Amino acid sequence: MKTYAISGVKGGVGKTTFAILLSLKLSENKKVVLCDCDVECPNDYLLLKQELKDSNPIYREVPELIKEKCKKCGICSKTCKENAIFWIPNQYPKFIHNLCIGCGACKIVCPFNAIRMKKVEIGNSFVNKIKNNLFLVTGIAKPNISETGPIVREVKKRAIELAKKIGADYVILDVAAGTHCNVIQALINTDKIYAVTEPTPLGKFDLEIMLELAKKLGIETEVVINKYGIGKEKEIEEIAKKYGSRVGIKIPYSEKIIEAYMNKELEKVVDLIKW
Amino acid sequence: MRIAVTSMGNTLDSPVDVRFGRCPYIIIVDVENGQIKSWEAIQNPSVYARGGAGIQTAQLILSKNVDVIITGNIGPNAYNVLSTTGIKIVTGVAGIPVRDAIEKYLKGEIR
Repeated sequence: MKTYAISGVKGGVGKTTFAILLSLKLSENKKVVLCDCDVECPNDYLLLKQELKDSNPIYREVPELIKEKCKKCGICSKTCKENAIFWIPNQYPKFIHNLCIGCGACKIVCPFNAIRMKKVEIGNSFVNKIKNNLFLVTGIAKPNISETGPIVREVKKRAIELAKKIGADYVILDVAAGTHCNVIQALINTDKIYAVTEPTPLGKFDLEIMLELAKKLGIETEVVINKYGIGKEKEIEEIAKKYGSRVGIKIPYSEKIIEAYMNKELEKVVDLIKW
Repeated sequence: MRIAVTSMGNTLDSPVDVRFGRCPYIIIVDVENGQIKSWEAIQNPSVYARGGAGIQTAQLILSKNVDVIITGNIGPNAYNVLSTTGIKIVTGVAGIPVRDAIEKYLKGEIR
């Protein structure tokens, strides 16, 4: 089983579109699990005309204060690297759960064992069967959760578990924009990253960040150029070369593709691309 | 009465910073009989905090025994913890010098 991540740092370059197109293409003769790791606003299910039902909650541990034991020393607050513990002298600390990443450092450093961890729901996952050979796993963060890395980690885990259960050949991870923890959680331990970009100055700038990150993670990359034909494709190819990557699939900028996309008919787009 | 104002610079003539957590300076003013008696400017170490800047700034201000905070806007995390401390929070102030903001507050023009 191979796990491919569809990333690219820049927003709006077509990461989700390409993730779906690749999944549709591969599922023509292989078994595929597509996982929407953009948990802050997942949209693969919308493009695949699905409804999300039968949610499966995702939990994370957060600290809880045992007041009788707390001596109001503030060590927990000083230790917290996320600034998620509010403390002023002579008062009990307050835990700000939506800033907390659940690392448990506060519990470890507390000299009075006054902190215990409790489970809170931070998101949900869903499974949709798109067709015989293609499943979609979607993760959604609860509103107000600012640290979504743990949700991505869990959704990815569930997608891989499902893939193993059904004997899938590929897991395709549709990754969010940017390079924050939620993106890195999706990228780690994948077999290849498809770095989706567009031939624009911003596309070029962000592609370089993407390839630099992939290099640090030690993961092979392949550059996908969307909207091919609108700009300086040569510069994109130079960046790819610089990082030992290569330009693979090119999605032409064409009215036909845009029209099919607008009508949510991505199967039609698959046939319009040279694979 | 002690008033803290989020500020773009380190003087009373610096403009009020609309940001709470990531303001570069906090000006703390001592007021007696409706007059500014003394003041100090504190550099805010949370300007470059990765996250939770508002929480850190709130802790810093509270350690100075302040009665009132004047700023532009406070994020939900900092607002939630500050609102339980009994401190008075004045928001929506922007674009005027710190000195004017204090005077307006003392005259009851902003609250």
